[in-house]
Amino acid sequence: MKNLFKQVKQILTYQGTPFREGFILEENAFDNREAAASGKESQSQGKDGKEKSAEPGRRRARPLRKARSEGSRETGDADTGKVSTILDRNRETIEKLYGLPVNKDIIVRDFTIGTDPPVKSFLVYIDGMISRTDLNFLLQNLMLEAGEISRHIASAPSILHRLLPGSQARMLDSFEKIVEFVNYGDTALFIQGSPQALVIETKGWEHRPVERPNSEQTIYGPQEAFIENLRANTALVRKIIRSEKLYTEMLSVGKRYYSDVAVMYMSDLANPELVKEVKRRISSINVDYVTDTGMLEQFIEDSPYNLNPQTHYTERPDRVAAFLAEGKVAILLSGSPFALVVPTTMYAQLHTGEETYLRWQYGTFLRYIRTISFYLALLLPGLYLAAVLYHQEMLPTDLLLAIAGNRERVPFPTVVEILLMEFSFELVREAGLRIPGIIGSTIGIVGALLLGQAAVQANLASPVVIILVAVTGLASFSIPSYSLAFAVRTYRFFYIIMGSILGFYGITIVLFIQIIFTTSLKSFGVPYLSPTGPRTYAGGDVVSRLPIFMQRRRPDYINPQDNTRAPGNPRGWVRDKGEGGGDGKQQ
Amino acid sequence: MESSSKLGLAEAVVLLTMSSMARIFLTFPRALVEISGPAAWLSSITGMALAILQVYLFYLILKPNPGRNIVDMANEKLGNIAGTAVNIIFASFFIAEAALFTRTFSEALIISALPSTPISVLMTGYITMAILGAYIGLEALARSARVTYPFVLFGIALLLLGLIPKWDFQQVFPILGNGPVNVFIKGGHLAGAVTEILLAAVIVKSFHGPEMFFKITSRALLMGFAFLTVLLFVMVITFGWNTAQENTLPFYRLATLIYLGRFFQRVESVFIIIWGFIGMIKVALTLYAAALTLAGTLRLPDHRPLLWPLAVIIYTCSILPHDMPTAVRLESVLIRGVSWLPAVALPLIILIVSRVRKRSGPDESG
Repeated sequence: MKNLFKQVKQILTYQGTPFREGFILEENAFDNREAAASGKESQSQGKDGKEKSAEPGRRRARPLRKARSEGSRETGDADTGKVSTILDRNRETIEKLYGLPVNKDIIVRDFTIGTDPPVKSFLVYIDGMISRTDLNFLLQNLMLEAGEISRHIASAPSILHRLLPGSQARMLDSFEKIVEFVNYGDTALFIQGSPQALVIETKGWEHRPVERPNSEQTIYGPQEAFIENLRANTALVRKIIRSEKLYTEMLSVGKRYYSDVAVMYMSDLANPELVKEVKRRISSINVDYVTDTGMLEQFIEDSPYNLNPQTHYTERPDRVAAFLAEGKVAILLSGSPFALVVPTTMYAQLHTGEETYLRWQYGTFLRYIRTISFYLALLLPGLYLAAVLYHQEMLPTDLLLAIAGNRERVPFPTVVEILLMEFSFELVREAGLRIPGIIGSTIGIVGALLLGQAAVQANLASPVVIILVAVTGLASFSIPSYSLAFAVRTYRFFYIIMGSILGFYGITIVLFIQIIFTTSLKSFGVPYLSPTGPRTYAGGDVVSRLPIFMQRRRPDYINPQDNTRAPGNPRGWVRDKGEGGGDGKQQ
Repeated sequence: MESSSKLGLAEAVVLLTMSSMARIFLTFPRALVEISGPAAWLSSITGMALAILQVYLFYLILKPNPGRNIVDMANEKLGNIAGTAVNIIFASFFIAEAALFTRTFSEALIISALPSTPISVLMTGYITMAILGAYIGLEALARSARVTYPFVLFGIALLLLGLIPKWDFQQVFPILGNGPVNVFIKGGHLAGAVTEILLAAVIVKSFHGPEMFFKITSRALLMGFAFLTVLLFVMVITFGWNTAQENTLPFYRLATLIYLGRFFQRVESVFIIIWGFIGMIKVALTLYAAALTLAGTLRLPDHRPLLWPLAVIIYTCSILPHDMPTAVRLESVLIRGVSWLPAVALPLIILIVSRVRKRSGPDESG
């Protein structure tokens, strides 16, 4: 009864708007902090005027000086960023650095090393990043097998030499370095009384196994693709190029959290200037994080506003190895299953590597098919529009009548018809890619079939246009480089528009623009249309693929240290008439 | 000025070849047939000899002065006032040529493919592409020419070979056409008036030294004249000289004649792409040369700020003629008629002055 009265009262009286929103991200909260920080900075700059600190809220993951200096006033030794001999101080520093106990990923495991008498120590690692087997083995060694070491020699060096049978272990005294390794899956061991910590390699996070390539499938050739593990990727390349001349230099990108970048090249082939330029561009990147080579590519490419991709994106170690053997430079990034190869040319983007594995006639055939499909993907709809709208005389009368008959019941102008179908095709492609699993490909095929059939029956498009758009779509899929296919697809729309406005003259205008933009483009100092524009030694592997034994020199445009691929006759068993013809006859 | 970008031999040759080829798509072959009759192709060969002589003349000027183009030479040898005047004549010549080519190319497009399109639209297309090409630079233009050259070559070969069924070698007689005076002197003079030599002398800093100037320009002219000769020959044996001189755009007429079965016929539209492209290269290169000449005369470090005003001037000049016949007449009067002034007379003056000064130089110092 009382409840009922309360409800009636609530209905009849004014209640005000209840505050339902639980959380508001106050804009001012950050702004104030920023203002305060900048005020503080300007004051401190007034004092020393020397160091310009980074933007507020932006802290390099590696240098932890600022954070450390805040906490270190209490910890004494850690003030210098060095490991203290007092274990508790080290522990305090670690807790401050990692924000323990709030930060639950970080495990600090206290234990006693089984020396006589025992020594207190602790391990720091990140849960999920390490291999439990390695860790257990480590603990077992330290706790059970340490009996032989007496206390006074239970220091970091003796433990390193006598108790750690694992692969990589290093002694470090700087928290900055220690944290860097722990963040990457290593385990740090702090020992009472030791001014150094041991960092033991225990990396063991979950990752994909090496699988077949997804976006660069071939029938012939190796069927391995890169994975997200940088070290596995470099090993995949090194497995193919078994040479001490294959150098892997490690750099890092990202200011807030950094990723490792491996720059791979053949030290006796790659032009040193090229290697220097690659390293210069990568090390100059000033951004908070880079997680994929796709992001890295955008920071290092020459002309960001040009449509053509200026680095070669590949997931195949064998292709990377082939490029390295030409004198190019490969860039791999931790966490990315794709490598970037620089410099690149448009012709390289139209190769798959499979042509080299196939016999040269088949390889050349494939290349020609791909060349034709490149032009079809670029020009076909535009040329069709230009011919149908402006230059009907060039079409044979029967074909013209067939097109006109088909178009009779379509209410749209031809350009709208083409754009509609192109858009639908792009839609099917995009949806097919996004819809998960097997349904995706089914929807792709079924959708395209149904859409085409229904569009014709509903008089929304003529059958010729459907065929045209389908052929164009197929042609664009036959371009091996995903990025280049995008560029071609984008240019195609310009051809469609200009072809419908000015006929072949419009096509010529876009052609001129595209050619002049492409010829003026450079990838790491190499003209994009090398070796045809400018003309240099081509090496028999550009559009046609000459027999493999004729490719005796490396492409000239890369300017490798050594141009010769095969100094003499690559087929040693085939002798020239002059030299030892008799042997050949005997055999 | 853009002298840092160096062109390779192949690129430079092809660029100048394509530029000199531009005239064969327009009314020029018709004018030559009108003068020389069936022996127009002989006039072309005589013209080539004359052109090579011009190249040698420029080579004599440029050879002792590596790193300098004809503009610098005029400034240096003729003094500030006379040098500037000569260079302004050079620049005006380029401007006039670009304007008339823009106009005649646009008119040709209207005749052949886009009859209802306003000429201003087509001219805007040409001029915009010219600005773009000249802005991006000689290197990109040369590479574009190099990359497209095989297609152009293939297209022209297809056209000429596609006409084989219509060839009649009897048409080539009488072999000396309208008589040696017409063929070799008048026709040769008309065919030999090539602007690419002056153009090459302006962009010579982009070649690898003045020795390359002779090599590049003479090769380009050989190729350009080879195209012209073959086209004139095919034109005469296909149409007969009498009909050939009545076609405004002989190249276009030849393309319309192709009939290789019901499916492969009337392919002239495809050639629109080729000649449109060559026209764009030609206008862009001429605009570039005009801007470079002016920048050299005015001693500006960069030619690019001049592109926009020059393009406006070219556009305005090109729209002035009332109709196509006026433009064609202007071309024959201005470009072919007065071309001996910038192509022969002025360089000759520069050469004589430089020789005289060179001789008198040691005397003065001694």
